[in-house]
Amino acid sequence: MQTTRRGFIKATGLAFGTSLAYGLATQSEAFALDASPDWKLVNTEECTNICCYCAGGCGSLCSVRDGELISVEGDPDHPISQGGLCAKGASMFQLRNVVDEKTRKVIPNPGRLTRPMVRRPGASDWEEISWDEAVTSIARKVKDTRDATFVEVDQGVVANRCDGMASLGGSQQNCEEDYAIVKTMRTLGIVALDNQARV
Amino acid sequence: MTNHWCDLQNADVFLTCGSNNVENHPISSKWVQKALDKGATWIVVDPRYTRSAACADIYCPIRAGTDIAFYGGMFNYIVKNGLMQKEYVANYTNASYLIDPDFSFDVNTGLFSGWDEGKKAYATTTWGYQTAEVVGPDTSATGAFSWTTADGVPEFTPPSNKVAKKDPTLEDPQCVFQVFKRHYERYDLDTVCSICGMDRETLELVYKTYCATGSPEKSGTIMYALGQTQHHYGTQNTRALTLVQLLLGNVGVAGGGVNALRGEPNVQGATDLAMLVYDFPGYMKWPTVQKYPSLRTWMETETASDGYYTNKPKFFISALKEWFGENATSENDFGYDWLPKIGSNTDLSIIPTFEHMDTGLIKGYWLWGQNPAHSAPNAKFARQAMSKLDWMVCVDITETETASFWKAPDLDPAAIGTEVYLLPAALIYEKFGTVVNSGRWLQWRNKAVEPFGQCKTDLEICDLLWKEIVGLYKAEGGANPDPILNMKWDYHIDGKIDARSVAMALNGYTTADKKLLGTFGDLKADGSTSCALWIYAGFYANNDAPLDPAQQRIGGRGTEDKGGLGLYQDWAYAWPLNRRIVYNRASADTEGRPWNANRMLVAWDGEKWDTNDVPDFVASTKAGDGTVTPVPPNNKAYFMNWEQNARLMVPSLDMPLPEHYEPFESPTENILNGRQNSPCIKFAEHKSVQRGSKEDYPIAVTTYTLVEHWQSGSQTRNTPVLVEAMPAQFVEISEELAEERGIKNGDRVRVFNNRGSAVLNAFVTCRLRPLAVNGKTVHQIGIPHHWGWAGSLSTGDLVNDLAPNVGDPNCFVPEYKAFLVDIEKV
Amino acid sequence: MTDSAILYDSSRCSACKGCQSACKCWNGLPSPLGKEAGGCTGSYQSPLELNGDTRLLISFNEKRNEKGGIEWAFARRSCMHCVNPACAAVCPSGTLHVDEASGMVAVSDEKCIGCQYCASACPFGVPHHYGPEPTVNKCTGCVDRIEQGRVPACVKTCQPGALNFGDRAEMLAIAHERVALLKSKGFDKAVVYGEDELDGLHVVSVAKYGLDAAGLPENPQVNDIVDWLGIMKPLTGIGAGAILAGLGLSFLTGVGYKRHTLHYDEVAHDVVDMDTGEVLQHIDVDIDVERKA
Repeated sequence: MQTTRRGFIKATGLAFGTSLAYGLATQSEAFALDASPDWKLVNTEECTNICCYCAGGCGSLCSVRDGELISVEGDPDHPISQGGLCAKGASMFQLRNVVDEKTRKVIPNPGRLTRPMVRRPGASDWEEISWDEAVTSIARKVKDTRDATFVEVDQGVVANRCDGMASLGGSQQNCEEDYAIVKTMRTLGIVALDNQARV
Repeated sequence: MTNHWCDLQNADVFLTCGSNNVENHPISSKWVQKALDKGATWIVVDPRYTRSAACADIYCPIRAGTDIAFYGGMFNYIVKNGLMQKEYVANYTNASYLIDPDFSFDVNTGLFSGWDEGKKAYATTTWGYQTAEVVGPDTSATGAFSWTTADGVPEFTPPSNKVAKKDPTLEDPQCVFQVFKRHYERYDLDTVCSICGMDRETLELVYKTYCATGSPEKSGTIMYALGQTQHHYGTQNTRALTLVQLLLGNVGVAGGGVNALRGEPNVQGATDLAMLVYDFPGYMKWPTVQKYPSLRTWMETETASDGYYTNKPKFFISALKEWFGENATSENDFGYDWLPKIGSNTDLSIIPTFEHMDTGLIKGYWLWGQNPAHSAPNAKFARQAMSKLDWMVCVDITETETASFWKAPDLDPAAIGTEVYLLPAALIYEKFGTVVNSGRWLQWRNKAVEPFGQCKTDLEICDLLWKEIVGLYKAEGGANPDPILNMKWDYHIDGKIDARSVAMALNGYTTADKKLLGTFGDLKADGSTSCALWIYAGFYANNDAPLDPAQQRIGGRGTEDKGGLGLYQDWAYAWPLNRRIVYNRASADTEGRPWNANRMLVAWDGEKWDTNDVPDFVASTKAGDGTVTPVPPNNKAYFMNWEQNARLMVPSLDMPLPEHYEPFESPTENILNGRQNSPCIKFAEHKSVQRGSKEDYPIAVTTYTLVEHWQSGSQTRNTPVLVEAMPAQFVEISEELAEERGIKNGDRVRVFNNRGSAVLNAFVTCRLRPLAVNGKTVHQIGIPHHWGWAGSLSTGDLVNDLAPNVGDPNCFVPEYKAFLVDIEKV
Repeated sequence: MTDSAILYDSSRCSACKGCQSACKCWNGLPSPLGKEAGGCTGSYQSPLELNGDTRLLISFNEKRNEKGGIEWAFARRSCMHCVNPACAAVCPSGTLHVDEASGMVAVSDEKCIGCQYCASACPFGVPHHYGPEPTVNKCTGCVDRIEQGRVPACVKTCQPGALNFGDRAEMLAIAHERVALLKSKGFDKAVVYGEDELDGLHVVSVAKYGLDAAGLPENPQVNDIVDWLGIMKPLTGIGAGAILAGLGLSFLTGVGYKRHTLHYDEVAHDVVDMDTGEVLQHIDVDIDVERKA
């Protein structure tokens, strides 16, 4: 049985030019032989993604109904993985939704973070905060540290360096995010910049 | 990877050494099996009998940390038995180049010439070539440096080319080949067996099987990962396997290559983008105060005298232009001064960062999906150092050990003044953008669902924080705000930060009219082009549909396999220039005839090049009027090097040729030379390291990961089906050690050394066995390191507390793979 | 009827447990959500047995052979989808039935009355039950997927190609070819399983290190009492309990495939769960005797 993601290509074509709707417009109707109401993927839309574990770059197909994830499995058209996924790749669905043991109903993964939190000095637990509060207070702390530890000239050379901050990570993000991180961190003056490549 | 996953199907022989490919890169199993079906042979060399070993044809145990002895023995075996691919080596490597007559290696001291005991560093002057002639830079209209005279290109002096003296017969005693041959004569089979704890019959079978790929039509590939790199001589381990591949003519061919399997989904992208202390995006150098005080010095130091990197300033200036936009002009050196310069303190990678926290230099810490409280070597020290921070910002999808370092069992939260912000991040299918796999394939992720709860993408988080910081500097001023206020941040579509806009910046465009560029060949050094990452140029270059990733090369979903080698040229985009196998010129002889006609990548038909892959050499030239002229075959198979040949010997930081030293903490003495550890080992002098002796800690240990879990477990230990499949932490020990120590399968045991202690379940197994090393029995144990206290399903002790925080001098990778502990029943 | 089969080739399997993971995710089966719910199994194998929430697992069996080499045998434990399934023969409610299109033993779990005849009848101890009112849990052959032109979830996800799905004759031919290759490489014990056992199985296996290492019973037998169950299908209640108990004694020693460890205490006439010690049922001796007669 040859299944192709032809609908996918069609739908993305429609997305061109409608940038606001771009994000979710990349989905297209799932390939189904008939619309049996018992079929798990009935009335779902699919979009392709790439596995979040090792750097194999295996393809995944995410099936979505009414804005919620219904299933993740391998992308059969993907030339590397040809529909396959290992134990970790095959479990990516559970990073968002899990099955409750008692009710056998799908529930949100209780291990995921859902909102910003802060741990105050000396505290033994988290405090929930709003995004606005988090952004405002982090920016203030960053500025204070930068202003206090900035080295504008070093050994007679313009250095524009901030020794008081370090940044770590990047192998988990998409390239566009990595560039944003590199660009903002470096522009703040950070030279202690590193990622998972060594560990 | 020089090659890619699907290309594994083309190999005749596999050597898994320093990886456990079916467990940690399960996709490899698909393509290895396809090759085995065609008759390939698979060798696994590993301290443990892994799931990869279970699938392979030949398994050879090795003592962790002795790879250079193993490969050095293979060099010797190849040379002694005439198994080298001589035509390849003589023409495409620097084997024929003559080395400085003062070069030497002293077996008694274990030092190469040029060691400075005071500086604890080598002067590498004697490691270079003898010069035949010096050729000045050609700035004429047809010369490599013609572009330097164009308007708007910053003034600099292009380098002269020091052409090396050569002996094509490879017989001159000072030619690289002869130096190489002499150096490895000590690495005979018995010596290697004694060091590595191997059995001679098995070792010979491994050498014989793998070295058969020296036959020109045969391909062999070595699959390696952190087992090879995480040693204080990890770079040299990797160089050693590369040299094997060069000697056997396996680089640049289908089914061959140097293939780092790479462990994180976008570690390739993060490395391309230089999320590394000393790098600038696209494998260029980050400015330093001492070496590159100005743009001019950067250009003069970094521009190659020959080969493709004669163009390097074009890439660098285009990147500066992208960084600072219209504020970057030729008058202000394109904003070069606004980039932060590394100063005299150059120890800024992950390990020394904790020393700087400990001393109070570093006060604020950004963490983007990384978990060093768990994964740093000597993680206990790392956590203690973190407790001195003023603040920490963690962006992650779960509460990691790092976000909750103040909850560590060995710390008192009341005594820790760090303010920690934990920002919830979106998952991969909750956002869109580019990810790069180990085969350098750029693939587009589409967004399936909205982010969970209040989660945001890292891109959006970055944008929110950046705009707020810029606002503060605009309003209040502060320490030199110029870099911040002059940086270009224009990645919004319809008012919202958008990965497509960043993708265009990465790809590059003409500055004046924002036309996306199809190739980095179009980049200029005069500010007329902007490009954040030259090596990606072309991946997102369709000017007819710039907002639609599906209509870009990266969105390609063509599954045709032109040439039948699994290159899949129309699926996504491989950097550079959609090249699937780099160094592919070396797949054919000096006349352009493929070594193996069934695995043709490029072939000269007498008039032009036939290609299945994008040529990685100058296949043609284009005149000013657009006329394309094919360039007939030559020996310039490695044109990214100034020599345009591969290097068997290289003036790198720590060794010109890989030499065996023992792990920092080793169960034995170095019998190959008079020095126990590499003289260039990094961070060994830090007090926090607390080196242990083999008398106190006689058990050798290696750490690793399992297929069921991933890294620090912050995702997989929150995934119920994976926790169920591997529910608890363990240590694997041999039946012999278990008997010696009275340990039974399932017992709780404590593994400890000076740095830490972990209580684990014992798995007593026949898959590990004692080794005979230098006449004594050495016990090796193995511990997966996925567990920690965080998470709601499965927790455990931190194994990385045990690993020494010492590193490699080239890339500062820690030595997780070979150190010492003791073990006792709890 | 199409005669399909799943082929499991242990000599290609890398024991990555992708099948185990995909089975749970596709079928919406839970895994424990409690902290440290699993505990150390003393092996790479987990869970150790099939259970009410687990339809498929990869088993591990290691030993050093006489030549000093290591034999680490991976095997796939799940429903064998017998050509003549005893479980379906005894199922009084029509829950377990042969899917005409594929030949797989499908499950309509909404029909399950919890009698657990199937668990007793299965020569491999595959069906397990979950919930306070026991409902059967076993591999369905992913007939929902097969109907939609997809292969079973476990087969689809298998990276090394150890799992395959197709015409049974074709799967058997591949298996025999593989075993011949393995034998030529010195794996003397390599064998095909599922061709003739119990009149044939719809899961064909290549056991690289032989049946023992794979935990496959060499000559599986359906207990002749299953015939009784077939006759007594309409009966429920105490009679069923009695038969269940009798069967329990017969299967306690199965290697690898371990059935429910129910034990019939012949003195007290109680059916006891060996794992929990709980008395599940007291048997009326008269009926028990009647059955034996």
